[in-house]
Amino acid sequence: MSDDKLLVVKDLTTTFATAGGDLAAVAGVSFDLERNETLGIVGESGSGKTVLSRTIMGLQPRVNTTVTGSSIIDGFEVVGASENEKRTIWGTEVAMVFQDPMTSLNPVMRIGKQIDEALRVRLGMNRKDAKARAIELLELVGIPSPVQRYNAYPGQLSGGMRQRVVIAIALACSPKLLMADEPTTGLDVTIQAQILNLLDELKERLEMSVILVTHDLGVVATRTSRIVVMYAGRIVETGTTRDVFYHHRMPYTRALLESSPKVSNKSHTRLITIPGRPPNLLNLSDGCSFAPRCKYATDQCHLVRPELQPSVEPGHSFACWNPLPVNAEATLP
Amino acid sequence: MSNFSLEEAALMMVEKPEKGEPLGLFFWICVFWIGLNVFGAIFANLLPLPNPLYENFNAINIGPGLHHIFGTDDLGRDIFSRIVYGSRVSITVGIGAIVIGFGIGAPLGMLAAYRRGRFDAILTTVMYVLLAFPAIIATIAVLSFWTPRSMFKIIVVIGIASIPLVYRVIRTATLSVATKDYVIAAKVQGATDRRILMKELLPNIAPIAVSFFLIGVATVITLEGALAFLGLSVNPPTPSWGNMINEARTVLSQNVWLAFFPSLALCLFLIALNFIGDRIRSHFDVTEVKL
Amino acid sequence: MSDVRTPLLSVNDLEVTFYVHGHAVSAVAGVSFEIMEGETLGLVGESGCGKSTTGKALMRIVEPSKGTVLLEGVDITKESGKSLRSARTRMQMIFQDPISSLNPRRRVKDIVAEPLDCWKTVTGLERDTLISDLLSKVGIDPSVYGNRYARQFSGGQCQRISIARSLAMRPKLLICDEMVSALDVSVQAQILNLLEDLKAEYGLTLLFIAHDLAVVKNVSDRVAVMYLGKICEIGPADTLYESPAHPYTEFLLGAALEADPDSPMHAQTLEGEPPSPMNPPSGCRFRTRCPNATQKCADVEPLPQEVAPNHMVSCHYPLTIHHQSTTRTPLEG
Repeated sequence: MSDDKLLVVKDLTTTFATAGGDLAAVAGVSFDLERNETLGIVGESGSGKTVLSRTIMGLQPRVNTTVTGSSIIDGFEVVGASENEKRTIWGTEVAMVFQDPMTSLNPVMRIGKQIDEALRVRLGMNRKDAKARAIELLELVGIPSPVQRYNAYPGQLSGGMRQRVVIAIALACSPKLLMADEPTTGLDVTIQAQILNLLDELKERLEMSVILVTHDLGVVATRTSRIVVMYAGRIVETGTTRDVFYHHRMPYTRALLESSPKVSNKSHTRLITIPGRPPNLLNLSDGCSFAPRCKYATDQCHLVRPELQPSVEPGHSFACWNPLPVNAEATLP
Repeated sequence: MSNFSLEEAALMMVEKPEKGEPLGLFFWICVFWIGLNVFGAIFANLLPLPNPLYENFNAINIGPGLHHIFGTDDLGRDIFSRIVYGSRVSITVGIGAIVIGFGIGAPLGMLAAYRRGRFDAILTTVMYVLLAFPAIIATIAVLSFWTPRSMFKIIVVIGIASIPLVYRVIRTATLSVATKDYVIAAKVQGATDRRILMKELLPNIAPIAVSFFLIGVATVITLEGALAFLGLSVNPPTPSWGNMINEARTVLSQNVWLAFFPSLALCLFLIALNFIGDRIRSHFDVTEVKL
Repeated sequence: MSDVRTPLLSVNDLEVTFYVHGHAVSAVAGVSFEIMEGETLGLVGESGCGKSTTGKALMRIVEPSKGTVLLEGVDITKESGKSLRSARTRMQMIFQDPISSLNPRRRVKDIVAEPLDCWKTVTGLERDTLISDLLSKVGIDPSVYGNRYARQFSGGQCQRISIARSLAMRPKLLICDEMVSALDVSVQAQILNLLEDLKAEYGLTLLFIAHDLAVVKNVSDRVAVMYLGKICEIGPADTLYESPAHPYTEFLLGAALEADPDSPMHAQTLEGEPPSPMNPPSGCRFRTRCPNATQKCADVEPLPQEVAPNHMVSCHYPLTIHHQSTTRTPLEG
């Protein structure tokens, strides 16, 4: 069964040892990803989405960090693998697109050389083939006049163009899974739409799977088939994109949807807010992490942590003691 | 750690630490050591010390012992006493010169970074021209001609030579703060320039300034030592750490202690100063710890 | 409804020119608008369009090179010295980066009291009462947090403190420069609601500058769209979003991501990126990316024309008119 899954994450936990005690940035996360699928991981800052995406790839920091559970990418167990072993899958099986293209590109190296490097080191290409392939990749990600741009420095490109270069580098060794961590945050709306279209198109053309990690529900709404909603290091709801948006059972999911302003709102629409702010991961209660901000919370919520339980639709599950009724569709504003 | 800076910063935001890195025990040992030296320098003539200028020809070049704990020099003077009195010159020159450097360099540096424009451009060019002169050679040249030498003249010359250095450090530190939104916010609230300089900029560059001040004192003390070694510092027989080492040079084969103790005093003092300076900077640099 | 009211702020032909390596860059190239008393004007556009520079030029944080800014009939651009400092207190500004807009080495109480201390309008007990009152208004408990340092607060709290500070001198006009774009969705909604409450309580007039179309729509009465240093369209929020008259506005709205899987995917995305303001196109500045552009657009700069009540657009072929008429002459004159 799990053979055909590209990624199987099971009970993954990432703990940082900090001055204030152990901090579980990711706690017992399990999900899997089909081939040629786009999955969205949604959460606010501190929800653990970035740590999760990096732990899945085995990119967690080496010091003061403990990872347990399992993350299997195309049959390769990442947890516990050595840096050298992981290097065999980085680039070829899984690649990453970072949020800030300015810091993930080397500012004093021509962009062509940065793509070449991956090709020559990883695929053993010679200089000439690598250059030809690099130009091909630049063209693939929609960079106009790639032959000239090959010699440009990152500083000479706009933010959108830089992000395209980052994507080209990620695609250099034809990975099966592309991990995109806030790939469009900080880009303008029109550029954001271009980059998301590009990722969609590349996913189809290259038959990859994509994980979109974002805080922006708008980014995942039309681009993903399934969504994982995270809060305080745990999955609180997961299901198909439509189920999460229209049939959500977890009050946090609804609160998140309700509190984001919409273009279709009339002006001066009062937003429904979530009181309080995301919890301090250092002293979480034994109960549901969202309970202190939840209007439906009962004593049980504060004392016992709810586990993920299936909802009516296949593949849709949520972690809540007092879930919203099944017919939640009409409530979406 | 660096991989997760953003996420972790977000996590830590919930309760941020009140202060940066702890100062540690060694910091306080250093502070105690500096305090002891300064105390000795100020109250040297009240302490039960033998006269540092008293020449006892019955006790020449004796090693450390009961009567003279660090021994005596080739003229029979008590080395310990001379080190304590010698610290007066070293410390006064060190602090005095840097006070002059800061008194002129720091306000100019802050003003230039805050005002920018032509004022900054001209001043910075002048300072960089001055920096291009080798300070030590310039100092030596001036001191060789400006006789008779006195502590005051040494302080003035080194102090002036340190102005461009202080200017550069303070200007750079201020530049990084002056573009912050809170400085613009203060301006928008109608704060005067003087108020912005004192309330918004000064507290934020103070740790760097204090740290650089201490390291500057250490540098000047070394420089005074070098000048003394060349015979360009205070005139003998007044002791300073530098000219004690210089005098010991000639009798090194007969009395090692004569060079050893002033060198040790100088060395420990400099280590302590540098350590305190560095610690203060990292302790108060909240931004560095946080992100 | 705004006909009877007098404009609190009227900006006329404002220009800001920067000099980069000797090249003149017109960041704001002739912008005119009015804000009525008690109104919220939203200013949207992509990065580099000059919206933030416009806000800063109003406060004289950057110097306008041309034009007038009348606040209650007084020309801000002519003021200097103490009268400028005093004029600034009638306008206040809230910045994008909540952390860097508060001095990390000052206590919250002193930060909020800064404008009062500058002007010495109130002192002693009266000052303390006022500060406590302001902090409570923005949801910061003065007895618990008043003596803490700004660096100990989260982004949302910092932005609340900024708001309290900006209100201390009872300004008439509040300029909000991307004030929620660095915040999490749930916190963003809290701040937006707080802003609406305070606006009503203090009778504020707002200039709300943001790149997020949904956020702008939610708070604004009228919206102005900027492109490359010029306002291309300005009108009532609801009608402007419903039927944009400028092609750029339509693209911008089309690219905005709605948090709804069923939201229509706009087939057309705007291609390319804005030209450099160092070398803006002749005529209409949008013509290089506009699908409807003709020779006229290159030759003649379009002037603002009214397409509906209070709805002005600078385009030779405004969309609403274009939709109504069946014939369009591509070349006129």
